[in-house]
Amino acid sequence: MSAGKISSGSEIDDPGYPTPEENYLTNSKGLLSWIFTLDHKRIGVMYLVGVSVAFLVAGLLAIGIRLHLMSPDGWFLETGAVKAITGDKPTNDVYNQVFTLHGAIMVFLFIIPSVPAALGNFLVPIMLGAKDVAFPRLNLSSFYLWMFGAFFFISALLASGLDTGWTFYTPYSTTSNTSVILATSGAFILGFSSIFTGLNFIVTINTMRPPGMTWFRMPLFLWATYATSIIQVLATPVLGITLLLLIAERTMHIGIFDPQYNGDPVTFQHFFWFYSHPAVYIMILPAFGVISELISVHSHKRIFGYRFVAYSSIAIALLGFLVWGHHMFTSGMSPVTTIIFSALTFSVSVPSAIKVFNWLATMYKGSISLTTPMVYAIVFIFLFTIGGLTGLHLGTLATDQHLHDSYFVVAHFHFVMVGGTLVAFLGGVFHWWPKMFGKMYSEKGGIASAALVFIGFLVTFLPQFILGSRGMPRRYATYDPEFQTLHVASSIGSLILGLGLFVALFVLLKSLFSKERAPANMWGGATLEWACTSPPPFYNFQRAPAVDDPYDFTDIVWDSVSERYVRVEPERKLAPEEQPAHAGE
Amino acid sequence: MFSVPNLLADEASGLFFPESASTFSQQSDTVFYAITIVCVLFFIPITIALFGFASKYKKAKGEQAESQVDHNTKLELIWSVGPSFLLIAMFYFGARGFMEQRTIPEGAYEIGVKATRWNWSFNYGGTTQNSELHVVKDEPTKLVMTADTVIHSLFIPAFRVKKDVVPGRFNYMWFRATKASEKLSDEELAARKQVYKDASESWSYEKEGYTEDGYAFYDLYCTEYCGKDHSMMQTVVVVHETREELEAWVEEKGKRQPGVDPVTYGRKLYESRGCKSCHSLEPGVKLAGPSYAGSFGTSRELTDGSSVTMDYGYIKESIEDPKAKIVKGYAGVNMPSYKGMLSTDDIYCLAQFIKSLNPNAAKQEAEEADSGAAVAETGTEADVTSASE
Ligand code: HEC
Ligand SMILES: [Cu+2]
Ligand SMILES: [Cu+2]
Repeated sequence: MSAGKISSGSEIDDPGYPTPEENYLTNSKGLLSWIFTLDHKRIGVMYLVGVSVAFLVAGLLAIGIRLHLMSPDGWFLETGAVKAITGDKPTNDVYNQVFTLHGAIMVFLFIIPSVPAALGNFLVPIMLGAKDVAFPRLNLSSFYLWMFGAFFFISALLASGLDTGWTFYTPYSTTSNTSVILATSGAFILGFSSIFTGLNFIVTINTMRPPGMTWFRMPLFLWATYATSIIQVLATPVLGITLLLLIAERTMHIGIFDPQYNGDPVTFQHFFWFYSHPAVYIMILPAFGVISELISVHSHKRIFGYRFVAYSSIAIALLGFLVWGHHMFTSGMSPVTTIIFSALTFSVSVPSAIKVFNWLATMYKGSISLTTPMVYAIVFIFLFTIGGLTGLHLGTLATDQHLHDSYFVVAHFHFVMVGGTLVAFLGGVFHWWPKMFGKMYSEKGGIASAALVFIGFLVTFLPQFILGSRGMPRRYATYDPEFQTLHVASSIGSLILGLGLFVALFVLLKSLFSKERAPANMWGGATLEWACTSPPPFYNFQRAPAVDDPYDFTDIVWDSVSERYVRVEPERKLAPEEQPAHAGE
Repeated sequence: MFSVPNLLADEASGLFFPESASTFSQQSDTVFYAITIVCVLFFIPITIALFGFASKYKKAKGEQAESQVDHNTKLELIWSVGPSFLLIAMFYFGARGFMEQRTIPEGAYEIGVKATRWNWSFNYGGTTQNSELHVVKDEPTKLVMTADTVIHSLFIPAFRVKKDVVPGRFNYMWFRATKASEKLSDEELAARKQVYKDASESWSYEKEGYTEDGYAFYDLYCTEYCGKDHSMMQTVVVVHETREELEAWVEEKGKRQPGVDPVTYGRKLYESRGCKSCHSLEPGVKLAGPSYAGSFGTSRELTDGSSVTMDYGYIKESIEDPKAKIVKGYAGVNMPSYKGMLSTDDIYCLAQFIKSLNPNAAKQEAEEADSGAAVAETGTEADVTSASE
């Protein structure tokens, strides 16, 4: 084991060791070298760009929604500038399309692929000390399917828009005269993209773990990715089938979802949520994985309760399949079914709570560096805890009858999806950015972005809880004047949030132009990605790294002369033949 | 309620909720507050730990952590299992409240609900359908709900109840309102109405905070997205002090309102009372029954070979006792009897409506009016209206 330590750590962390001349960004040039690349890192970067663009579009739509709701009768979408684009379409219709596209793009094009496809693609093979994923071609095709799906969404937007809500509830979606078929085809294709990624990771993690990396010596990010992949592979086909049935109902009136043809609209809801609740965990589990890494590395302390955290990912993945009915507590399901779903919903809250406690215990007596990623991780814990706790109000049947489909639900899931997943995604991007691009950003700028996101987020979404419990229904283009104060507060918050996100983008992009190189081990992490250079070479590792405990920080120390983290080997001196070639320089 | 733009002006209801006006609302709010307290009790220590640790254990770069302890099974079991008891309690109280909402008491006052895009229609039985929901205080009300094309959801925040309204099936919901709506005095109401009349505008619920009958109200929203005017699919709930008051209102609304002409009202009845599904308005289009177009005043051939003129008397008979005279070609098809379900005035209006569909009959009438027969005509209307009272 200690022999392994030497070959893994010292060769690269040794200050002065020359980084390889070429890295994955520079080893081949030209647009074609990106388009046809099979390199998981490049695919990860392309995903990162893709999901960021999708996020930008959906985020601007969100700002549009918030600005519109500044006034009870609707403001922004009524203004001349917007009318110039939307023509004489009634404003309420425009609003409905805007919120539908906001939701659909955020869910299908951004949150689902964000952490797994962008960060996961980059990190999974490196964390395994491998050269690539098991099926590089499948990986590239997953990205192109994502592009193709996005293309369908855009065509839907340009054709006659989409106004069904991202949930596509029947019989609204079987009768709406917007481009439902284009959009559902898009979602269908994106489903395949998601399945390909999941399948790839399952095989990669099962078969390509290096000698010495047992299941319980895997970084927790891999556990989370593995659990996510299982859901992606098992649940997404159901979405595919549901969407095909929906298309069949629309075109051939087969009579499954639309009462006009003797179908049952509630069946659609069951099918849809059978996928979409597990999908909630596709969205949040990878975020848990990111946070486990961030908290541990930046506290320079072993993750507390590794096994509990790992098992809780799997428990969430499995229990997540049994709770879809909690989206339908007011649909008129039989009382027995409803009560069973409520009970199961409570059971799934336990593993999430465990994670929060474990992260806190990890920070306890640690050596915490308040770096940008750590600040994001702290923001995550704060916001996610609120998101999780307010889920209890919704899982409780008596109160859900009042809160269902109100702004309380809107606030709850934004706390989980934005305060949770998005913040974790940003934290992850800031954490691995120096690894991905070999450049370090301004920490001040990064922390400022986190602070703005935090404040903006709270101002946007806290008022929405109160709006909801006071009775404001969701998906309303207009509302009663009594709700205006809170709506205006929320809209102002969204602008602060937007500003914070732009600051983050600016800080990151600016770093790309800096001359200075980021060191291999930027934060003092012990997982394998910190053992290769930044940015990693095309083959990731020049020599297969040997595996060590991913959370053992005791032999990683800060060297104030070279200003970087180095791995020390107190027990053993290097044998001459193990000396790196340049040792005498 | 519409008229209170300031959030905190409505003190009685607290920060979190609108006014509490049903037995469920008290119960549901108690559970809500209990859960919130539990959440806060968890959240405070979590936040203290989070920010506390972040500042207390913030170290300079390179300093080793004070401890590398990586697990404590006892502690972890405590925080995994401990909260479960609280969760079980939440689940239990939630399920109990829910079961109560799903157990509809015998003898509840039943109201039919039909949701269309983007209107609510409440059916009070007999001849009354209205877009406002009126219920009695302290008595259980049961709603039997369905929709025509897409799903809607009926939500009354003040009662803390909500149920989807699904086409192709009936969903039920019940509640017991606890606070009667206050009522404007007749003079006050008349004064306010006058303002609208003078400006020839229609009554604004939002501005007045009262219905056109002078009742304060609770909001009723649609909460399942249903298209363009989803956000306008709102109406009001009025709670009456006594059953008698409600019944008086229902009866009043079952009648043609003063100022509404018989033909318009007749068309409304034709559409709302189901005649539409069996009688078309286009000439020659046969549904289950004969078309109304151009029929008034003509001679009808019956199954028994005799014939009869389609006039007010024949229409009344056809509606109340359809089997008495069956039109040739329709033997075996049964038109339901509407005896007791349509008032004499309703039938009069339907007849006027059918009459309006025959231009010849209208012309005839004009000629008769010229020759002074109009007196007889108005006489009929007066008779009919008084008969129905
Ligand atoms: C279930 C189908 C059905 C419904 C609903 C129905 N009818 Fe009819 N109606 C018939 C049929 C069939 C006939 C012909 C047989 C008969 O005379 O009884 C008829 C005949 C009539 C006639 C005589 C027509 C003629 O041309 O001689 C009148 C008047 C009439 N209906 C009025 C009404 C009114 C008013 C309503 C609604 C309040 C109504 N019907 C609802 C089926 C229906
Ligand atoms: Cu769910
Ligand atoms: Cu609606």
